[in-house]
Amino acid sequence: MSLEKIIVNIDPDLEELIPGFLENRIKDIQILEKAAGQQDFAALKSVGHSLKGVGGGYGFAKITELGAGIEASAKENDLERINQLISDLADYLQRIEVKFQ
Amino acid sequence: MQAESGKNFNNNYHILIVDDDQEILTLLSSWLSKEGFNVSTAMSGEQALAEIVGKKHNLVITDLYMNGMSGMQLLTAIHSGNPLFPVIMLSGQAQIADAIKATHLGCSAFLTKPIEQSELINQVMQVLRLSKNSEAGDGFAKNVLYRSKLMADLLELAESVADSNVTVFISGATGTGKEIIAKAIHDGSSRADHPFIAVNCGAIPEHLLESELFGHEKGAFTGASTRHEGLFMAANGGTLFLDEIGDMPLNLQVKLLRVLQDLEVRPVGSTRNYPIDVRIISATHKDLEKAVHEGEFREDLFYRLKVVPLHMPTLSERCDDIPLLADHFLRQYAEHNHKIIKYFAPAAIEYLMTAAWPGNVRQLINVVDLCATLCRTNVIPLSIVKKALQDRPIEIKTLKEVKQECEKNYLVSVLRISSGHVANAARIAGRNRTEFYKLLGQHSLDPSDYRHK
Repeated sequence: MSLEKIIVNIDPDLEELIPGFLENRIKDIQILEKAAGQQDFAALKSVGHSLKGVGGGYGFAKITELGAGIEASAKENDLERINQLISDLADYLQRIEVKFQ
Repeated sequence: MQAESGKNFNNNYHILIVDDDQEILTLLSSWLSKEGFNVSTAMSGEQALAEIVGKKHNLVITDLYMNGMSGMQLLTAIHSGNPLFPVIMLSGQAQIADAIKATHLGCSAFLTKPIEQSELINQVMQVLRLSKNSEAGDGFAKNVLYRSKLMADLLELAESVADSNVTVFISGATGTGKEIIAKAIHDGSSRADHPFIAVNCGAIPEHLLESELFGHEKGAFTGASTRHEGLFMAANGGTLFLDEIGDMPLNLQVKLLRVLQDLEVRPVGSTRNYPIDVRIISATHKDLEKAVHEGEFREDLFYRLKVVPLHMPTLSERCDDIPLLADHFLRQYAEHNHKIIKYFAPAAIEYLMTAAWPGNVRQLINVVDLCATLCRTNVIPLSIVKKALQDRPIEIKTLKEVKQECEKNYLVSVLRISSGHVANAARIAGRNRTEFYKLLGQHSLDPSDYRHK
């Protein structure tokens, strides 16, 4: 796992919204991990779906991509892949550095 | 995206966003507010329905899958009150079946998440008919509503000549909005702060038109008890719009030509000329080229006026604009009469778009007003439109015309009864023969037509 920062450029108009948005994603990680532990695929699918819907709009295309992956894997009950994607998401959230420009 | 002036105009539009995901609501609100729209939000379909009651929203953007009422149910509920109300549907799933169903139910656009900012704004603009090709309120000619290519081209040409002193000539049928374009050109010029004066050359009696235009001195003719400035002087620094220029008598055409050449007017009865700085825009519904050919209009004046010719399309040529115009006139009707805004059913709009419209936009205004008056419900059905178009109120004749018509009909029946015998006919009518002959002459009636052959 690399510790290199990932620079994400975000529309300055969204600056006020971003801290809350990212906090909610950290909460999503906890929800996802708990759901994965309980093999609750319906919950995994639902969170994945909403991550897919919301990520790109705020400027985080990667969140959309990972959310779509979680949603699709949940449909196939592919727990291994889901765990990988959750860890990718956690890793991504730790490494991003937001620049408003 | 729009220019700043366009964004200012957007604040006339209220958009309601419905989604059970707060983050989507926040994001979309942020995008739309940035474009200048008034935005409100609801977290469920039920809340959305409560929100739109009694408010003037122009558009609802709703998520498809929500807890409780779905986007489809919300769409159906909104459309039960107003089938033309614009709704944009959002869905996390790109499912063709949903898109087809939503479109079938009358949603204006179907977007899949994640939504791109530009995609959403473009769709909103398109649905509200605010996109570049169809906007009203874009600086020049902001009062002109259109989305047709014909009007776009015409306004582009008009805008390009607006801020110059060039003489513009507008042709086009009655009721196509020639004066509105003339006013738009004036408003788009550096003369905008000076007067715009419109005069209908056909409506003023010939002997008065000269003093109306050029003014007169006190005592210039019987009844000229005070000095009159004239419309050229009154429009100084601004624009004079000479409507129905084709009806201007030939002797005045000479005088107008001289004014245009010398940029001076000489009031009737005056010995001196006054310099003027007036831009001339003229218009006619007549075929002026033909009038020139037939010697009714001076060729030199024609070319002097027709430096930049603009041709107004008829309403049926720009039928693409009819939904936009009809909607606008309904709003105007509601405002003037303090009533709730009504809407045309889709079939009614289609019928309006294919009608002939000999009276052009002016006729459309009358038909829309009539429909709004006749219709007791909020949605105007096809049947009312058909009725309004067929029962178009006959143009009311002047008292003189009615009297003439009645007199002629009477004379014809008297001639029939008397089998064209003038002395008998005159006796029935209670007139002497000379008077009766005179009456027949006025109506071009020939008694021999009524004699038994």
